Amino acid sequence: MRISKLSLVVLALVIGASTVQAQTNNASITATAAVQTPINVVGAQQLNFGNVFPGVNKTVAATDLTNAGRFDVTGQASTPVTLTFTLPATLSSGANTMPIDTYTGISAATSAQTGGVAFNPVTGANPSLSGAGALFVWIGARVTPATNQAQGTYTANVTMTVVY
Amino acid sequence: MKTLSWSLIGLALLGAALPPVVGAQGKPLNVTGVRGLTFGAVFPGVPRAISRTDAANAGQFDIGHAKFSPIQITFALPAVMTGPAGATMPLVFGANDGGYSSPETITSQVGFDPRVAFATALDKNGRAAVFLGGTAQPAPSQRAGNYTATITMTITVLP
Repeated sequence: MRISKLSLVVLALVIGASTVQAQTNNASITATAAVQTPINVVGAQQLNFGNVFPGVNKTVAATDLTNAGRFDVTGQASTPVTLTFTLPATLSSGANTMPIDTYTGISAATSAQTGGVAFNPVTGANPSLSGAGALFVWIGARVTPATNQAQGTYTANVTMTVVY
Repeated sequence: MKTLSWSLIGLALLGAALPPVVGAQGKPLNVTGVRGLTFGAVFPGVPRAISRTDAANAGQFDIGHAKFSPIQITFALPAVMTGPAGATMPLVFGANDGGYSSPETITSQVGFDPRVAFATALDKNGRAAVFLGGTAQPAPSQRAGNYTATITMTITVLP
């Protein structure tokens, strides 16, 4: 059988065209992350000055487990956190105000304040959560009622912010 | 004789039309995932960025083929990482998160945008490394746990 020269060329081109393809290859890797436990903060106890008399300053120490203000923090175990505070300058009773100052703070891994570390709430602190992911923070302060301080119940908010 | 000539011409054309199954030096196209992109401990509400130059945590692929081969690099980049109970966390790649290294060293890279195709050529060694960074963006209420995502790199040998 004679094969025409044109047929040979066409055959070659057809075979060639049918096999032309781009060479590709691929591989994969894995992206990984471990999201830690979110921070939870609870105002556990009020900073309670109790009865205050005009002209008589009264201090509640941060070591006063009964009357100091307390925040309870939970989060990722053994992780450092940053504490910052919004500290009022006065307590209010209607239109009347009473100064509050000299804030003090203590942070500890237990509610018994065992091994507590003092800090200045004005500048904040950088403690670490315990191995159980807990942190307790106490706040003390001083009120300075005027000699003509009006009778009444005075209050203000102390805010603590916690971030990793 | 003429038939033989035409046969030879046909065979020559066939050889020219066929792409090499392997490289000019007989090398296949190899693409290997060497190291994952590791964000490690991530805190809710705190974005975590890994640079392509991070020797411990940047993702890495290795490429091997015929020397001087023109190639195109493309990525299938996930938009999220998936974690516990189907929770997702956004994963973002920026214009400088890809790095191409002919010497295969993380300290010597040409930056590129992994979100678009990147064309280059292998060097005389026929090898290269590709490094990848990225940013994990956990929400403030991000569920705690381990998150993962798959990143695929495709190499195409250009004609």
